[in-house]
Amino acid sequence: MIEIKPNEPQVVSHADYDVITPDVSRLRKAVRPAEPGEADQVELAETALRRISNDFIHWMRDECGRLDAARRAVQDQGLTADTRQALFLTAHDVKGYSETLGYPEARRVAESLCRLLEYTPELSRIPLLIVDQHVDAVCAIVREHKREDITAVSAELTGRLRQVTDEFLMIENRDRPDILAILRSAPRTDWDLL
Amino acid sequence: MIRIDFNRLRFLVIDDNAHMRRIIRTLLHGFGAREVHEAEDGAVGLDAFTHYTPDIVLTDWAMPIFDGLELTQMIRQPNANANPFVPIIMITGHTEKDRVTAARDAGVTEFLAKPISAKALYQRVVNVVANPRPFIKTKTYFGPDRRRNTNSNYVGPERRKDGPAEVIRQQPLLEKARRLA
Repeated sequence: MIEIKPNEPQVVSHADYDVITPDVSRLRKAVRPAEPGEADQVELAETALRRISNDFIHWMRDECGRLDAARRAVQDQGLTADTRQALFLTAHDVKGYSETLGYPEARRVAESLCRLLEYTPELSRIPLLIVDQHVDAVCAIVREHKREDITAVSAELTGRLRQVTDEFLMIENRDRPDILAILRSAPRTDWDLL
Repeated sequence: MIRIDFNRLRFLVIDDNAHMRRIIRTLLHGFGAREVHEAEDGAVGLDAFTHYTPDIVLTDWAMPIFDGLELTQMIRQPNANANPFVPIIMITGHTEKDRVTAARDAGVTEFLAKPISAKALYQRVVNVVANPRPFIKTKTYFGPDRRRNTNSNYVGPERRKDGPAEVIRQQPLLEKARRLA
């Protein structure tokens, strides 16, 4: 049965599910064919981002300050649920946007730290030295980012950190096949890949 | 070619990181958007969603108080708020398959893995605006149709009664816009 009302969703009922077509009139008003000579919207946005790019170094330094504060809390209080969450959220932020800011090397280190914190079943078993090394590596990459050899140096550093972290995670999760599968899988960027 | 008039759309950006919000806001303004509201966590985001009635929600996943997944589940409550059909774009650093699946099953419309770029964000917005999907309501799910493609290799039971698996097509808005022009 189809019920049609102005601005109301159209509902088609089946045996155990409904298909609902929402009112999209507001969205519809925003769509039109492009006209010749119109500026490329993606290029306009990239230009807008470049205009604020002088701030990016300060933002990365802010993140290093947050990482250091979270690390100090871990040193003082140990890896509790709260200190772990604060450190994870900060590392996750760095992982998420440092590449957009022009610091892809920092992203890879932060990603390794996130894996360590997310997939270690027993927090107390995480060696704090590995946590320190990750935080120090991110801050060193930000501090030394103008070095010509930063890509090569950070790749070596990141590779070693990732190797140590993954070896630790494989041992700690040896009885958790579902987690091992996640650790071995490639990242997904779009669910069309599912 | 399609063109989205971003100045006709109202956006809500929810992310606990102020710098990330600024990046997204800068990109949206660059695309031409004027109305971009911001919230720093899921709770404030839900309040802003009710208050501003945005056309599109862009949310982070990992946030304090309640996260982007919980926020999505709260928005996708039929009859519980002003617009449970609002397009939700999840922008996240979580890229594991189980996470992507969880986001889809919570009712997220589009998934955008960080690091974000202007092009990737633009494509997601174009997709939700120009190709809106119908919603499916079952006993256990309410959200955009999760069947984006037919899989001829699929073997297994048909989970929807009333016939074989099908992709429910909706007329792209661009075609409608051309017809109205």
